[in-house]
This record gives sequence, structure tokens and C-alpha cells, in this order.
Amino acid sequence: MLSRSAERIYWAGRYLERAENTARIVQQYSQMLLDLPDEVGVDWPALMPVFGISTGSRTNSLPSNEAGFMQLILSNRNSPSSLIYALRMARENIRNNRDLLPMESWESVNELYQVVHQNLESATESEDRFEFLADCIAHCQQVCGCLHGTMSHHSPYHFLMLGQHIERADMTTRIIDITASYITKNERVTRLYGSTLWTNVLKTVGGFQMYRQYVQPQVISSQVINFLVNDTAFPRAIQCCTNNCIRSAEALPGNTETIKQLTVLCGVLAGSSVDELDAAKVSETMDELQMYLGRVHQAVATAWFLPGADT
Amino acid sequence: MTSSFQNYDASKFYDELLDSTDGARSHARLLVDYFDRMPKQDLLNRQDAVDSTILDMGISFTVYSEGDNIDRSWPLDVIPRTISGREWDGIERGLKQRIRALNLFIDDLYNDRRIIKDKIVPAEIIDSSRNYLKACMGAKPRHGVWAHICGSDLVRDSDGTVYVLEDNLRVPSGVSYMLENRNVVKRVFPSLFRDHRVRPVSEYPSALSRMLHSIAPAGREGNAEIVVLTPGVFNSAYFEHSYLARTMGVELVEGGDLVVDDNDIVSVRTIDGLKRVDTIYRRIDDTFLDPEVFRDDSMLGVRGIVRAWRAGNVALANAPGSGVADDKVVYSYVPEIIRYYLGEDAILPNVPTWRCSDAKSLQHVLANLDKLVVKPANESGGYGMLVGPHSSKQERDEFAAALRKDPRNYIAQPTLMLSTAPTLCEEVLEPRHLDLRPFILQGSDTYVTAGGLTRVALRKGSLVVNSSQGGGSKDTWVIEDAE
Repeated sequence: MLSRSAERIYWAGRYLERAENTARIVQQYSQMLLDLPDEVGVDWPALMPVFGISTGSRTNSLPSNEAGFMQLILSNRNSPSSLIYALRMARENIRNNRDLLPMESWESVNELYQVVHQNLESATESEDRFEFLADCIAHCQQVCGCLHGTMSHHSPYHFLMLGQHIERADMTTRIIDITASYITKNERVTRLYGSTLWTNVLKTVGGFQMYRQYVQPQVISSQVINFLVNDTAFPRAIQCCTNNCIRSAEALPGNTETIKQLTVLCGVLAGSSVDELDAAKVSETMDELQMYLGRVHQAVATAWFLPGADT
Repeated sequence: MTSSFQNYDASKFYDELLDSTDGARSHARLLVDYFDRMPKQDLLNRQDAVDSTILDMGISFTVYSEGDNIDRSWPLDVIPRTISGREWDGIERGLKQRIRALNLFIDDLYNDRRIIKDKIVPAEIIDSSRNYLKACMGAKPRHGVWAHICGSDLVRDSDGTVYVLEDNLRVPSGVSYMLENRNVVKRVFPSLFRDHRVRPVSEYPSALSRMLHSIAPAGREGNAEIVVLTPGVFNSAYFEHSYLARTMGVELVEGGDLVVDDNDIVSVRTIDGLKRVDTIYRRIDDTFLDPEVFRDDSMLGVRGIVRAWRAGNVALANAPGSGVADDKVVYSYVPEIIRYYLGEDAILPNVPTWRCSDAKSLQHVLANLDKLVVKPANESGGYGMLVGPHSSKQERDEFAAALRKDPRNYIAQPTLMLSTAPTLCEEVLEPRHLDLRPFILQGSDTYVTAGGLTRVALRKGSLVVNSSQGGGSKDTWVIEDAE
């Protein structure tokens, strides 16, 4: 398998996952905003760091209203943080690897892109957004379903898995981080709306039901965090993603450094379980996990991709 | 005639489907009847089906506009263009003759230069061509073949004669659209297809693969590792590059995927390490191919690849330097070139061509700018040319100045009244001008596609068929004649 193909498939996995997560986050966040009174002050700017958009400095002029934010994270073709950008990259990477991927996966990612592309306008309108995002999530799952259901478990599949699970783990850290850092800054919110916020986190990753089934019926912040970080059975928990990465890396040649970095990550995960919510510490842990995930990515790129072409 | 062809006027130009009295040409009779019987709404529905099939299959091309790359759906007209099998047999013979002669010519130019010594083609024409690459002197590609893939443009004038308008010997494109056009039309008109004996085009990827194997370094033909080298995803023909790699079952690579080692062996980087490459179907222009030899700022090519090619360790299709025979001034010598190397008369005629380097011809061209088509010697894609009858006084003045300044770089030809075929325009069938680009392969053997890519100028009266400039396309049917 060409290094370039490995790289493209890996990125196809990452961008597909990023697109789905972006849609999920916006979907869930829109719903939550309706539940919280204005005085709580949770709003769109607080969400921007999840997408790597800095809100701190004056150099960044942020939009002034909801439509502007939607434009930035959903429909702006030139912003690497936007949904449409992620879809375009997923589509290009799949298109350029059509020989290695099932034909239907190309047709369905092409359809996904066309559907989203044609309905971008409605994404910024709050009336139509729910429909639009639900459609987008469903289509993303269709593409993934097609890849999972019809691809032999050889090298290309494993690169897809690596990309998907590294991205998924990274997104989970960001979603936890955004809530934790919000709580750090607004103690009053924690008291009044803490459980609303953590329920929202669970719903964003589609884990509300699984949490209630297998952890406990009540939403308790520290338990939610442990579930999303250390659970080995929930597909969006970081530990579960890491285990999947290990399985795929083990099937590839020349995997020593990647396995090593994944093992380091497992060690960090094991030591990060929390008993009580210390939001500042959670934020710190999430930053740390992101750094270790970055090292895993680096190891993958060094072992299998083209030299000097890290994107 | 009724319905679809009721107001169709086939009397002004040579029409490929109908003769001047609006009767169907014999090989096109079934097809014309079929569309003629079709209620108008059906016809429009079929065109919609064609358009949506193209969107679903993701058949697109890229146009550059204001620094942006725009992915557009490929335009395919619903009515096929037809050619009789008997006529095509003659054209095919002519194309094979032409590619054989051109390859002998290129090989000669980079080796003995006999044709120059024998004063058939003047040295200054060759030596001043920017496609004549000194770095290729003395190279000996296998079978003496340099241009392995050729996409000649054919046009038909009003008297019915088919001319070769140009030979594209560098990186001709369009063949993937020929194949996809057929796939779409087969999906949309299965029954129409069943009733005709249309020569298939689908074996092109196998023929291409066979040819690429046949030119691999000696001893490696059987198991040759073949790759398609593309400039990358932002190239306008990227769709085609990935299409051909996929249909041949070979890897699509970019410059960064390949390395040349100290022994002049080319390899591709894989997740298991390096793997040797034998034949490279390159879709990168000569000058970007190797920063060691040509443009040293090229980010697209592979350092050392020309060295490896000269050493015979890798085959390049087309060989660098093949473009020397693609020069429009050199084109005007092709009939002499065929006679010189093969001792035969050209089967397919050239369009009469005035070489502006010749003082007398230049005078004639300057005096008749409003009637002629003037072309620069080395452009492609229909850019930088003057279509006299459609030009303004200012454009003609600009061209006159350019011609006087650099006559070697221009040729002029009469404005041909390109043939037409019925094309669906704004819900009505109207005649539109078209050309035809067949694809010719030469390795150890020669091969010609049955038909080729028909490009059609969608604007009324326009003679510009390039898709980058608003052209469309048609499926091309070479129909077997009745016994």
C-alpha cells in the first residue's frame, strides 16, 4: 500500500469523524441553549475553542450573532474549522482512493457532500438547522456504515480506523474540556445548571442512554467524565478509542513507535480517573490527553506517511 | 419529418446525422427515427436523467476561475454522434499511419537527424521549438516509440472531408470522459443501445495497460510495476488521472511518492518501504518532470527521473521531448514526414496551413486575417488563437502586430465550417459544431479507440469546443454498416 494512500485514508477517517462530531456538537448545543436562561450567559463564543477557533485575542474578530457563528463553523468554505470544509476533505480523500475503498462509499460520500452543499443556506437559519444537522449526521453514518460493512480488514481499513478513533478521542476531550472550563469560570452555573451541562455532554456524544444503562441513572459530573474517558465499552470513550487504535496498529508493519505512544496514552488514561469534580484539573487533563493523542498521530505519520507532508 | 426534428435545419453545414435534405444518413437512420418518434417531454426527461447520472457518478472537471478551482459537472448532450464503421476503418488506418511516422520522426530528431540532413524539415524549425529538449538527445526508448499516447483532433469540413487539425503528443486528456459518456448513455438508453451495433470503447484501460507493460524495461514486461503520475488534486484533469489509475488497477502517485536512488532506479514509497517502479504514465508537463534537468523550481516532479529514464531503468509515457512533433509549424510538415519515413501518402489530410515564418505566406495571412484562423505554435486548450470571421478589428490589429514580431510562432489555416450534429439546446434540437478526439496508443503494437471523444460547441455558431470554454460533449458511436 502506498504511503500516500495510507495518509489519504487516514485523513478520510479523521475528516468524516470530524464532520459528524461537528454536526452533533452544534445540534446538541443549539438544543441546550434553549433550556438555559439568558442570564446564565452560555453562548456560542464559548463553543468556539472546540473547533480550534481562538476567542481570547483581539486579533480575531468574532461574529456578532448566531448566524455568523453558524457560518463560521458550518458553511464557511474557507475555514478549516467548518463542517463543509471537513466534508470536502473527506470527499476528496475518498475520491482519490476509490481503488482501495468500496465504490458505494464514494457514491455515498459524494451524495453527503451534495446534500450538505445544497442546503448550506438552511444551516444558518435556526428554523431549519435541526433537520439539516440530523440529515448530515445520518449521511455520515451511512458512509461509515458502508465502509465498515464492506471493507476487508487489511491495511487500508486499519488506517481508516486509526484516523477515525484518534479524531473521535480528540473530539471527546474537547467536548469535556469546553464544559469543564466553562464551569471553572462560572461557579454559579455549576450549582444551578451543572447537570444540564453534563447531560448535554453525554447527548453530544450520543452516550446518554449508555451512561444511564451501565453507569447509573443520575448524571454526576465526575462519573460522566470517568465514563467518557475510561470506559472500555462505549465507542466514543477515549479508552475505547485507544484500544481500537492499538488493535489496528498491531495489524500494520513497522508499528513499534505507534504502539509505544498508544501504551503511554493508556498509562495517562489510567491515572486520570476523578472522584470529585475539580474543573480546573479536568481541563488540564484534557489538554494533556490532547497532547498525547498528538504524539500518537505523529508516530503514525512518521511510520507510514510521506516524509515532510504532515497536514 | 415530425416532432423532434421538425424545424431542424441540416442544410447549412455538413451534419453528421442528417443529410442536407433532412433525411437521416444511412448508418444513423435507426437513431434518428428513435429520437424523432420520442415525444418532446421524454427527450427532456432523458437529458435530465443524463445530468443526474453524471452528478451521481461524480463525473466532473475543474475550471480555474479567479484563482479558484471549481468542480463542474461534465456536460454531456443526450443525442449521440455517429460515424459509419466503414468510414471509421479508413480513419483508423490513417491515424495508425500517422503515429508510426511521427514516432520515427521524433526518434530521428533526437538521434541521427536524417530528416534534417535530407532537407525535408529545416533545422531552424526544430532547433527553435521550445518542445525540442536537448536533455533527450541520444535517448533510445524501447521500440523507438516516444509518443505512446496521442489524442489527435479530427474535424470535418462542409464538403465532408475529415482533416487532422492537430496531434496532441504531450499529455492529451479526455479519454476518461469518452468512457464515462458511454457508461452514462448505456444506463439511460439501454434499448436504443441494444438495437444498434455500436463498437465498444470499454477496452481502452486494458489496451493502455498492455501498452504500458510493453514499454517497461526489458525483462520486466510481464510483471511491470506501473504508476500514473499526476500533478495532484488541483490539476484540471485530476478526475481523469484517478480514473485511469483505478480502471487499470495501478497506483496513482504524485512526485513526492517517487524517489530515484544512486543506481538510477525509481521507487515508490509504501507502508512497507520502497518498491521499484518500471513504467510511469506521467500526466505532468515535460518541464516540470525533473527539477534536475528542467525547471529547478518544480515541486511536482521527481529529481533524477530523466537520468533513470535515459539509463533505461524506467519507461516514461509519453517520453519527454515528444512534444516537438506537437508544434503547429512542425504539424504542417506531417504529410512530408509520412512520405519520408514510410514511403506512403498520408491517408488523412492535414488542414492547409500557412507558415508565417515564410515571408510570402505571412503577407497572405496578414491580408486575410478576417478569413483565417491564426494559432500560436505551442498553445493548447484553444487559448491564444484568432478566429478571423468572429474577430473584432482591434483583435486583428493585435494579432497582426504579434505575427510581425514573432512569425515563427504562428500558423494560419482557413476557417473550416466544422460539421454539426443535433444537440439539445434550450429544449430544442439544433445543429451545433463539433470535433472528434480519438486516442491512439503505440508500444509494441498500435491501437485506436473506436470513435473517441466528441466535443461540441454549445453556443450557436461557435467553433470553440473546449470544455474549459463552454463546450459540451457527446457519446460517439461507430456503427457497423448493414451487410
